[in-house]
Amino acid sequence: MSAPMPRAIEPIVLPDWLRSALSQPASTRIAPSDQQMMSSEQFLAWGLPTARDEEWRWTSLRPIARLAIADAKGEQAAPADDAPHLPHALVIRLVGGQLQPLPKNVPAGLTLTPLSHAHEIDRAAAFQPSAQGRNDALLALNTACATEGFVLDIAANTVITAPIVLEWLDNNTRSNHSQTRVLIRVGANSSATVLETTHAPLQSTHWRNAVSVIEQGANSQLTQISLGLAGDARLLTDRSFVHLARDARYRSINIQLGGQLTRREIDVNISESGAHCDLLGLMMPRGKQVMDTHTRITHGAPHTTSNEQYQIIADDAGRGIFKGRILVAEDAQKIEAYQNSRNLLLSNTAEIDTKPELEIYADDVKCSHGATIGRLDDEALYYLQSRGISRSNARKLLITGFAQEIIDALPYPELVEQMSALMRAHLSDAP
Amino acid sequence: MSLLEIKNLHANIGEKIILRGINLSVNAGEVHAIMGPNGSGKSTLCQVLGGRDGFEVTEGSVEFDGLNLLDMETEDRANAGLLLGFQHPVEIPGVKNIYLLKESLNAQRKARGLGELDTFAFMKQVRELVKSMQMDDAFLHRGVNAGFSGGEKKRNEILQMLLLQPKLALLDETDSGLDIDALKIVSEGINRLRGSDRGIVLVTHYQRLLSYVEPDFVHILYKGQIIKSGDKSLALQLEAEGYEDILKAAS
Repeated sequence: MSAPMPRAIEPIVLPDWLRSALSQPASTRIAPSDQQMMSSEQFLAWGLPTARDEEWRWTSLRPIARLAIADAKGEQAAPADDAPHLPHALVIRLVGGQLQPLPKNVPAGLTLTPLSHAHEIDRAAAFQPSAQGRNDALLALNTACATEGFVLDIAANTVITAPIVLEWLDNNTRSNHSQTRVLIRVGANSSATVLETTHAPLQSTHWRNAVSVIEQGANSQLTQISLGLAGDARLLTDRSFVHLARDARYRSINIQLGGQLTRREIDVNISESGAHCDLLGLMMPRGKQVMDTHTRITHGAPHTTSNEQYQIIADDAGRGIFKGRILVAEDAQKIEAYQNSRNLLLSNTAEIDTKPELEIYADDVKCSHGATIGRLDDEALYYLQSRGISRSNARKLLITGFAQEIIDALPYPELVEQMSALMRAHLSDAP
Repeated sequence: MSLLEIKNLHANIGEKIILRGINLSVNAGEVHAIMGPNGSGKSTLCQVLGGRDGFEVTEGSVEFDGLNLLDMETEDRANAGLLLGFQHPVEIPGVKNIYLLKESLNAQRKARGLGELDTFAFMKQVRELVKSMQMDDAFLHRGVNAGFSGGEKKRNEILQMLLLQPKLALLDETDSGLDIDALKIVSEGINRLRGSDRGIVLVTHYQRLLSYVEPDFVHILYKGQIIKSGDKSLALQLEAEGYEDILKAAS
């Protein structure tokens, strides 16, 4: 038998609605105009990345090109109400990308400015990351098309204990897309927690292509939580660029339970000594969901640390992808970087791809990584059954126990409780 | 009617014949000890009674409390009142001990047509048991057996047994790997379960446990058969003379 022919990868034909988004008047878009133009040209030349591109080997963007997105606005509908309810939360709501009036409880030291009204310097900072090639095509698209976004500024020496909740709502009943851009700046010695959710009505499909730029000042702390909740009518591509100054601590917790396609990219640049990041994630694809996280941590200074723990539980024909790159620059001595990817495959048709990528140029470092993909442990199932627990309950206990390891890392007991309940519901609901 | 009636039990693992016709009858109120050298079939017997996959019963029958045990799922055996204490309790890092205890007790209550136990009463009972096994309350919120020492794992097995109050406890080498203090705690736990309405089967290598938990009957398992039965003096004889002499005398 001859070897199978390598599968030809066809380029993705850009749909008309995407081309028309690129030809909207420049005045309706928010990036500095020279960047808009350059990014637009780049994106048109590159198109959407495909499996030919290293960073997109496992996740296909074809579902985006297949979206039937119309120009006309549809009816307004209330989005699915599965957002967590946290007491004392500061809820910032964006409907169709438009910032809604702020609640009254905005704490001192926090300011929120729509990017369209932001100072030139802030806009430049929000659009600072630049696309380097086809792998970054979605970044170029966002720069070219972003029509709304905001700057969230937390002044120096400000401690905000209440969660800052960013709710991206799309209540258009016709399929839609949005290109959103956010700059979060945490001043020196300040701390905050930002929780982001995306919601859309279930009768149509919505794609949000998001870019966040996070700048943390010296000795600041930020916890960024991203929750992907129920509803398969949602596609999310989301990239965060994080920049950490001296002694800053960044913690990302990414929990994905829903969405047809979710692609998260987190790029952390640890450029000054003493800074640390924790990247934690749980992805639970089932049905035909695809959930993908790519992280890239750059240790650019000595005495910096990072810790990554990512878990995927894939059921049905769900697909989970984790790729974690750690780069240690030549003079970044005495760094510690740990990465752990633990995965659970629950069905024969589910798929998990995990790939650590360590690139180390310094010689005095502690780096370790581990990746496992397994099935439920038969020994553990038998042990639980021998205590009278039915096989299906034993399975649930083991799966929820595995998932809980990440959920328990969330701040606020109410959030842990609500996400635990959503996770259990996700497990028992038929896809 | 006996609580457990094993008749002519034969079992294989793959091609390998392990049990070659076991006969054993355990009545309520009795404590039996099954001793035997390595490879005699002690653990296989426990696993076959527990309902673990991978064993094939080729002949014989097991009746437990009037039920055909071999036809039942593992969880149904447990809910009917059979509790298997593991030789190597499994580590389950993600599942907290408290959840295991609650789920198993509620499964048992459900099987008996009872409602879920009130949380307050449950916690009170569990805390008392934790104390009696000389364990720390913090253990309840740790993963099942995760990172436990050998002694802690065995104490955890006994704690579960005392909570679930089985009709028959089948303890597979519960005494192995215990220091003398842990052995005392474990033995006290087993003695607390002793009663006229319960049976206990201790499967062990060593006579040591039997000086703390006095058995009514001692059986010697060898090459898949019980070759000799007696009272507790048989265990002492075994300790003094070793298996060799007894095996010779029996053959």
